[in-house]
Amino acid sequence: MKHWWWKLLGVLLLLGASVAALRVPLSPALVHVEPGRIAPGPVELTLTGYNTHFAQEGVKVFLENGGERLCATEVQVLSPTLVQARFDVPEGLRDHLSNVVVVDVTHGRLAIPGAVFTTGTGDGSGVESCAETLADAAPVKTFTFPNRNILYESIRNLCFHVPMWFAMIVLMAISVWKSVRALGSNDLDDDRAALHAVQVGLLFCGMGLVTGSIWARATWGTWWTNDVKLNGSAVTALIYLAYLVLRGSVQDPHKRARLAGIYNIFAFALLVMFLFVVPRLNAVDSLHPANGGNDGFGDLDLDDRLRTVFYPACMGWILMATWMYDLRLRAARLQERLER
Amino acid sequence: MKKLLTSLPAALVGMPLWAQAPGWVEDSLYRSGKINAVVVVVAVILVGLAVWMFRMDRRITAMERDRAKGS
Repeated sequence: MKHWWWKLLGVLLLLGASVAALRVPLSPALVHVEPGRIAPGPVELTLTGYNTHFAQEGVKVFLENGGERLCATEVQVLSPTLVQARFDVPEGLRDHLSNVVVVDVTHGRLAIPGAVFTTGTGDGSGVESCAETLADAAPVKTFTFPNRNILYESIRNLCFHVPMWFAMIVLMAISVWKSVRALGSNDLDDDRAALHAVQVGLLFCGMGLVTGSIWARATWGTWWTNDVKLNGSAVTALIYLAYLVLRGSVQDPHKRARLAGIYNIFAFALLVMFLFVVPRLNAVDSLHPANGGNDGFGDLDLDDRLRTVFYPACMGWILMATWMYDLRLRAARLQERLER
Repeated sequence: MKKLLTSLPAALVGMPLWAQAPGWVEDSLYRSGKINAVVVVVAVILVGLAVWMFRMDRRITAMERDRAKGS
């Protein structure tokens, strides 16, 4: 086998990263508070945790409202993931929305921002109960992924969906490089390499679109939306499909190589525009992370746990994609030799 | 190749039309911390790779047949 070491490296990176991406637990978090509306008077809140291990003792619950803390009068741990807290809500809470916060020794501080809504606001309750007793506990450090509301377990898709696009971009970059070489050398083999890089790149583009669509359904509630990033990626796919159509419409191989080579340079420039420049302009809004002024996953990943899995996954997929392109190109060369 | 060329744009254009997925698909995507969204994504990638492998296999089989005929 030719150059087997980088292929083995690709497989090992992919294997390790995929197992980690599926197996690393999410960090504990509060995911649900019931009811979502409170009024002055006695209130009982039920808090649902995810991957939490609430102990019977030492769990404290409070509401944060306009800089004030309102502590639960009674906390009952029903199960490691279920806590009931009773409050005497005073008149005059400052803000409509309160954060619900749980503090204990194992988890430190868990919170849902703006989880409960209060009708009617005042100048503050004047309550400062328990503020000093709640020294923030230090959580036990384990290797976990960030647990973010809306995303939850689907955060693992970062290590599958995003590398598809990275692999595609690398293949399209290989393709444009081969095209430039073909234009300079008039060598049909360079042109063939450009074609096969685009074909494998389109496979990854297709998988990126479909996986993105599934992820969108689970997080944004729709398979497709007129988002600048989504439309940009769809247009990119169409641009490269048009590259194949253009090739199919020219009979003479040398003429085809020149035309396709020039088109490919424009196609790559448009790819960079549609995937990286336009969605990042401050003038546009986007749902997609890291676009239209949104936070990327780097901002969630405070302790670099996601990165240690995400980077090997990207590297592994890029190497696999390059290997696939290599196989495809070698097969095409053999085919030509057979046809001669 | 032709089939692929015609089916891909159709899939792109048709994407918003899938919005009415059956209820059980919706439910299973949201249940238990949305882990099924990950399962489906991984499945799609594996299916994509499998399709590619089959096409590659067909290509090589055709070459083998040509060679058998030639010699």
